[in-house]
Amino acid sequence: MSVAAGRPVGFFTDTSLCIGCKACEVACKQWNQLPADGFALAGMSYDNTGALSATTWRHVAFIEAPGAGAPGAQADWLMLSDVCKHCSQAGCLQACPTGALVRTEFGTVYVQQDVCNGCGYCVPACPYGVIELSPQDGRAHKCTLCYDRLKVGLEPACAKACPTDSIQFGPLDQLQERARKRLADLQARGVRSARLYGLDEGAAKNARGEGTLGAFFLLLDEPQRYNLPPRPTLPQNGVLPSALATLVTGLLLSVGAALAFRRPSDKQR
Amino acid sequence: MGSDGSLDRDASRRADLNHPPVNYYGLPLLKRPHWKWEIALYFWIGGIAAGASLIAAIAELLGDARDRPVVRAGRLIALPLLLLSPLLLIKDLGRPGKFMTMLRVVKLKSPMSVGAWGLLSFGGISGLAALLELCPARQRLDRLSRLLAMVSAPFSLLIGGYTGVLISATAVPLWAKNRLLWGPAFLASAFSTGVAAVSGALALTGSAEPSTLRKLERAHRLGLVAEAGLIGISLLRLGTAGRVLTTGKWSSLFLPGVFGLGLGLPLLLGARASRRAPTRARVALRSVCILLGGLALRTCIVYAGKDSADDPQAYFELTTG
Repeated sequence: MSVAAGRPVGFFTDTSLCIGCKACEVACKQWNQLPADGFALAGMSYDNTGALSATTWRHVAFIEAPGAGAPGAQADWLMLSDVCKHCSQAGCLQACPTGALVRTEFGTVYVQQDVCNGCGYCVPACPYGVIELSPQDGRAHKCTLCYDRLKVGLEPACAKACPTDSIQFGPLDQLQERARKRLADLQARGVRSARLYGLDEGAAKNARGEGTLGAFFLLLDEPQRYNLPPRPTLPQNGVLPSALATLVTGLLLSVGAALAFRRPSDKQR
Repeated sequence: MGSDGSLDRDASRRADLNHPPVNYYGLPLLKRPHWKWEIALYFWIGGIAAGASLIAAIAELLGDARDRPVVRAGRLIALPLLLLSPLLLIKDLGRPGKFMTMLRVVKLKSPMSVGAWGLLSFGGISGLAALLELCPARQRLDRLSRLLAMVSAPFSLLIGGYTGVLISATAVPLWAKNRLLWGPAFLASAFSTGVAAVSGALALTGSAEPSTLRKLERAHRLGLVAEAGLIGISLLRLGTAGRVLTTGKWSSLFLPGVFGLGLGLPLLLGARASRRAPTRARVALRSVCILLGGLALRTCIVYAGKDSADDPQAYFELTTG
């Protein structure tokens, strides 16, 4: 496993291999010393976590499709280990006014906790609803792609713990090649609903159409079923048009107000 | 797996009409921003300061000697609001003690970074302008006053409009779907509320000539028409995403507050006075309506926006196709 500065790394999460064991959730919580989120049973199949949050950086989703699959089967399952997408065009990073959010030497997106002042602008700027402010310390938190482990040449805790290698870690170019081969293989075997999410489809792209996810997925159904947006856009694509429209409005209002003040207002002139 | 080893989810889903794929247990896809009354209030007073400062600048550069009270009122209104603004913003931070990191970098791609630096600059310039107004030697400082007016005008536009750009650059459905027009709409509202604050102050203190009040009338009409137009077009562009404002729980504040108090009533009060100078009481009343309407607008857009972030269907509509 070559983890070296300068070569972008990430995750390929192949949900067709996920067995829903949640070893990734546990490993992530343990390695990062994240607090528990309460002990409520959510009633959403085996998912008692619900979503990613400031204190949950891996979340395993369970979807039961009753009556689907083989005759006689009670239900068919969709399982996915959700994570921060470490977007190559990251909404959170571009929104951050303090420079707390940075791109590391591994191509990942990281929040510098000593800089973050909890303005919360990154939170609505994430098209996937990943990053969140912690009510305990007021700062923004999300998956670090185990930056501390990468620095010493180890793979992230979740990838290490995954027993089926559903979570695959490595250089992104290798993972993308592997993913496309896997997709072709699955489709040849009749799994027509398999698709990649985060390469061509599903990645938030900038105005030039560039953008891939550093943590991308092989899904077995539409993204909506997993609570992933089908075609998200990078929120900052709106900055330039919005700013220009505001400037034009400002000029028109100024000219209008100027005319209001220049015209003689006395009736006796 | 099917009997032939294949797993055709599409076929199974087509057959499963009782459970059409909606989303994941109705959970939201986005995280809602934490902003509350501090931010809604800041949007409002920042807008008033921007509008008041802008009309003061225009009166200084293009008005006559009788319009001097507009300059004075605009600058003296803007300063306390701009002193209060950073206090509200710092209070809203998750770690207020780290507020100085806002000035650590300059990022033009981030409206919040631009706004932080803009607010700092505008505050400084407005401080100088207000000091100038209070200076005993005011009569001899005309050149400086005109210079300050020229420098402050672009900052007024920035502060008045950047908050609309800021909310547009997010994934929140109510804000992102109308991303072209929230900046212009906020700026028009800033202009309206700023002019309203100035004319209201002048009406209450009786320190303006009728000619000045008539000029402010025209500015009022311009602001109200621009604001009404931009909000109306925004609602059209929003379509179903705008329902959170027009039929949801915020409609009872949005419709009477924005369209009634903020736009309709002032236009009515203004229309009847077009033939002769408006009475001071009418001007003051109209100013109060416009100001409250501006507060209603900002409050609804912030809070209804947060609600729209919790709505999976609204976000799916935004991100499909």
